[in-house]
Amino acid sequence: MYYLAQILIVLILFSIQTTWLGMFSIGGVVPDLALIWVVYCAVHCSRTMGVGSGVITGILQDSLSGGLLGVNTLSKSFIALFFSALKDKFYVEGVIPVAFFLILSSLFDGLVFYLSMNTVLGGEVATSFLYQSLPAYSLYNGIVGPVLFFALNHLEGWLKLKTSKFYMTWVK
Amino acid sequence: MPNKGPKGRKNIILVFSILLFSLALMSLSAKQQKEMSFLDSLTSLTLSPFQSLFTQSVQSVSDVINNYFYLVSVSKENERLKLEVDKLGNEKNELIERISRQKRLAGLMAYQEDRKKDSLVASVIGRDATQWSKVVVINKGSRHGLKKYLAVVTNSGVIGQIIFAGPNTSKVLLTIDSRSAIDSIFQDSRVSGVVVGTGKKQCQIKYVPNTAKIKVGDRVLSSGLGGIFPKGLFIGTVFQVVKKKQGLFQEITLTPGSDLSKLEEVLVLLS
Repeated sequence: MYYLAQILIVLILFSIQTTWLGMFSIGGVVPDLALIWVVYCAVHCSRTMGVGSGVITGILQDSLSGGLLGVNTLSKSFIALFFSALKDKFYVEGVIPVAFFLILSSLFDGLVFYLSMNTVLGGEVATSFLYQSLPAYSLYNGIVGPVLFFALNHLEGWLKLKTSKFYMTWVK
Repeated sequence: MPNKGPKGRKNIILVFSILLFSLALMSLSAKQQKEMSFLDSLTSLTLSPFQSLFTQSVQSVSDVINNYFYLVSVSKENERLKLEVDKLGNEKNELIERISRQKRLAGLMAYQEDRKKDSLVASVIGRDATQWSKVVVINKGSRHGLKKYLAVVTNSGVIGQIIFAGPNTSKVLLTIDSRSAIDSIFQDSRVSGVVVGTGKKQCQIKYVPNTAKIKVGDRVLSSGLGGIFPKGLFIGTVFQVVKKKQGLFQEITLTPGSDLSKLEEVLVLLS
C-alpha cells in the first residue's frame, strides 16, 4: 500500500507538472517536480529505491516530454545515485541544504539536456540557455524544493502511520 | 577498509549500467522513434485521465479560491447575501466561460469552413513534463484519424505539428520548441526563411539575407514547402530585426500569432 501511494504521488506530480504548473511560470520557467521528487526519494529512501525511482521517473518524464528518450533517465538516475551516496556523508535536511543541493541538481539536469541535444540529437539549443534559462530554472527549483520536501515529509509520515495501522489490522 | 572494494566496484557497475541504459535509450529513440511509441502510448494512456481531471478542475478550483477569499472577510449579517452573490458569480463565470468557449469554437469553425479542408477540433489537456521542450497534449489521437506530422493551428495562426499520435491523445510540438522548423515567407516582401523555435516565448527566422528589407510588424506565412504546413498559414509577426555588419543573414525575432501559453482548443489539419 505504501508503494501504491508512492506511485499515486508520482502520477499526481506529473499531472500537476503537465497541467497546472504553467500558471506559475516565471518568464517561461517552471519548477521540475520530477527532479525534486527524485532528490527526495534518494535522500529519504534506501539506495535501491532511490536509484530505482530516479530511473523510473526519468523514463516517465522522457516518454511524456516528446523529446529524446534517455536524457532525463540519464540525469535523474545520476542525481538519484549521487544523493543516495551523499546522504550518508552530508546532512540533506533543512531549507538551505535542500535548496542548495536542488540548485546543483538542476544545473546538472540542464547541462545533461544541453549536451545531449547538441551532441546525440544534433539539435540546436542556443548557448544563451546556459546563462539565462538554466540559472532561473535552478533557482526556481531551489525555492520550490524545500516547500515540496516539507509537504512530502508530512505525507510520508502520515502514510507510514496509516500503512502500519493497516498492516497491524490485517495481521490480526 | 576491506569493505570499500566491493562497494566501490558496485558503484562503478551501477554508474556504467545507468550510462549504458540511457545511451541505448537515446540511440534507439534517435534512430527508431516508432519502436518507442509503445512506452509513449502507455504513459499517455495512464496519465491522460489524471491530466483531463486536473485541467477541468483548474477553472473550478480558481473559482472556489477566488470566492473563498471574498467569503473569509464577510460578517455573519451579510453571509447569506454574499453566498448568494457567490452562487450568482459562479453561474456568471460558468456562463462567461461557456460563451468564451463558444466564441473560440465559432472562430475555429469559421476558419475550418474557410479552409474547406478536413480538420478536427481538439482540446489541450496537458503540457510538456519537462522544462526544456515545448509540447502540448491534445485529447484526440489515432482513433480520431490523427497521425504524425499533421499541422496544428488556431484561428490566430500555426501552433505546431503532431509528433506523436497515441490512441486517444497526441503530442503537438509547438513552433517555439527548439526542434521546430517551418519553411516560411514574408507576406509583403515574399522573402523566404526558416522559422525556428528558441525554447522561449518567441521564434527566430533564419537565413534571411542582409539585403532583404524586413521591418518590425511584417507578417510571416508558411511557404508550403516541407509538406507539413499548407501554404499561406499565418505564423507570426516580426518583433525585432538586427542587421549585423558581419555575416550574411539578419537576426529576426518573431512573435507567434497564437498565444502558445494559453492554448485551449486547436484545429488539426487532416489533409
